[in-house]
Amino acid sequence: MSTVRTLSNARDPVAPPAGTWRIGLSRGPTQRAVLIDRRTVAANGLLALLLAAVALASLCLGSVPIAPQAALRAIFGQGDAMDVFVIQELRLARVEAALLTGAAFSLAGCLTQTLARNRLATPGIIGIDNGATAFAVATVTGVSAHFAPAVMALAGAATATAVTFSLAGGIGTRGYRFIVAGLGVGAAFRAVTHLMLARAPIDDANAAYAWTVGSLNAPEAGSIALLAAGLVVGMVAALMLARSLAVLRFSDATAQTLGINVRGCRLAALAIAVVLSALAVAVAGPVALVALMGPEIARHLSSHRGVPLVGAALAGAAIMTAADLAGRLLLAPIEIPVGLVTAVVGGPFLLWILLRPGHRIAP
Amino acid sequence: MSRPPAARTHTRRRPGLWFALLTAALALVCIASLMFGAGSTGPITSLATLLHAPAGDGGWASSGEARFVIESLRGPRTIVGVLVGAALGVAGALLQAVTRNPLAEPGLLGVSAGSVLAVALALAFGESAATLRVPVAQLGALAGCMAVLAAARLRGVGNDPVRLVLAGAVLSGVLDALTYMILLVDERTADEIRFWIVGSLAGRRLTDVTALLPGLAIAAAIVVAIARPLAALALGERVATGLGHRPRLVRFMVVIAVALLVGSATAIAGLIAFVGLVAPFAARALAGPDVRRTLWLCLPAGALMVVTADIVSRLVVRPSELPIGVLTALIGAPVLVAVVRLRRLPSL
Repeated sequence: MSTVRTLSNARDPVAPPAGTWRIGLSRGPTQRAVLIDRRTVAANGLLALLLAAVALASLCLGSVPIAPQAALRAIFGQGDAMDVFVIQELRLARVEAALLTGAAFSLAGCLTQTLARNRLATPGIIGIDNGATAFAVATVTGVSAHFAPAVMALAGAATATAVTFSLAGGIGTRGYRFIVAGLGVGAAFRAVTHLMLARAPIDDANAAYAWTVGSLNAPEAGSIALLAAGLVVGMVAALMLARSLAVLRFSDATAQTLGINVRGCRLAALAIAVVLSALAVAVAGPVALVALMGPEIARHLSSHRGVPLVGAALAGAAIMTAADLAGRLLLAPIEIPVGLVTAVVGGPFLLWILLRPGHRIAP
Repeated sequence: MSRPPAARTHTRRRPGLWFALLTAALALVCIASLMFGAGSTGPITSLATLLHAPAGDGGWASSGEARFVIESLRGPRTIVGVLVGAALGVAGALLQAVTRNPLAEPGLLGVSAGSVLAVALALAFGESAATLRVPVAQLGALAGCMAVLAAARLRGVGNDPVRLVLAGAVLSGVLDALTYMILLVDERTADEIRFWIVGSLAGRRLTDVTALLPGLAIAAAIVVAIARPLAALALGERVATGLGHRPRLVRFMVVIAVALLVGSATAIAGLIAFVGLVAPFAARALAGPDVRRTLWLCLPAGALMVVTADIVSRLVVRPSELPIGVLTALIGAPVLVAVVRLRRLPSL
């Protein structure tokens, strides 16, 4: 008698699981509520703070050091004219580009890792980045000058993904077959990029060089705006998929039993990842391994609960900004392209994931 | 009297015949390599020059220019192509035998990247490119080889072909990035090796080839000496030990041989990936799993691949040239996918 009353009592909601907040969205017989993991919120807050600090440092440091307060004022056009020029004309665009590309790469990496159930399946490794780069370089070397780089990068990323998927014939055991097929496809597309660079006149080849190693030296305003729009849309879409993705981590059978459309979910996540990495490649070129490190850090901070989409984006943005800052400062006045910095830092990290004894490959 | 079944398998496979066929194909491709090129010396003139056609016979004349083109430009690069291809093919087969992994390829696993980085480092520290390149490249390849073998011996990695390849791809990514950094900082180094690094056979002289011969000769001697133990090692470490071989020593010798071969090839031709994957793959398909036959077939198969790729790289974007690594990657990437796709990745 009493149990029945408890279950039907609308005013007494089910107690939320430990470590979460429950936020009711609607009242009445069909209550909807959201559970928010406290640990994830704390992790994301920490990452956001870190990101703000790194971004501020990136604005202040350089060949012309600027004090933090002056830098913040200069963003809004106040203070010393010189500071305003340096911040608004030079550094702000660069920091923006770093934030957006880092977030996009990392979010894309988080999605592909989840859908392939393998932490190594990031867009850079499975050939998406290389496909986008090949097509983007084609716009510079004049093979098809009528399209914007972002559009061509999208076409390239989609092509590479389609080829990889059809060659691999599915995800394979633990995603490995997919990854090696992607490795091969990526190598072929890299070869095509070099082929175009070899044919191009030297000036065009130099202009396209940034796209082959990954650099934030001269980001294009149009591409950045496109990337910002794409990132917002992609983030929202990814968050809508978050529940399905969290179940997809276990196995196809489990996900199907819980009523998830596995194929559809995978396809949607892959599409988001392709769009995000293509738009990011159009801005910065293929920056290696941000897509691997960002989600990894976010997962550790949120202690592997769910798929850390927001955390991955924040961590990726912080990594990219920090790597760009390091590349600018380390050997000043020579600037190391950000792609090289992330390769040197991220490579050993990836090796450690791959080779350590108690190795666990699922994200 | 019935033959033992093993012998019957081998007669059906006919590795000798395949070796002869591949060598004949290689000879044809070498002649083609002498005949075709970017310059004005066309195929017919070249052929006439090769056959010593009598001078003063109209279009068939063997001019001094044609002789120069063939003897000083196309001849050396054909020889270099044959040597590099054979060396890379054999190195791939050796590395695959010792890591028991059909995907182990010196270029993919970071051995070549190691030798490139070593050369860049040596140049940055003020050495001259002309004198020291070969030994330095071999040292770098040795370091890369050691890293690969250490990774392959780790628990779990050895049984998982793909993980080793991924680790190798990452390692070569890191080494490449370090090389690029050196090139960024040091402009002299960048100028000296920019065109060498991408992999090309153009402009190599016969004197460069002679610098390679000692290393290649030592490697050949090692390979001849360890072919039998290596074949025994394919049956497992215990079997090899039981047959009186010493697996540790064999592995050590293989590492030395691979370092010598890859170092020499990289020193003269730069980064050329995928030859060590495609040649042994073809050789195993033709000759079966015995590593001794595979090694023999890898000689002409690797050379054939590199020389063919070189001819194409000369002709596609005339009058400029394509890095040869681009072509080998275009051939090799589908083979990589095929190896993963067609087979259930047997450990060798």
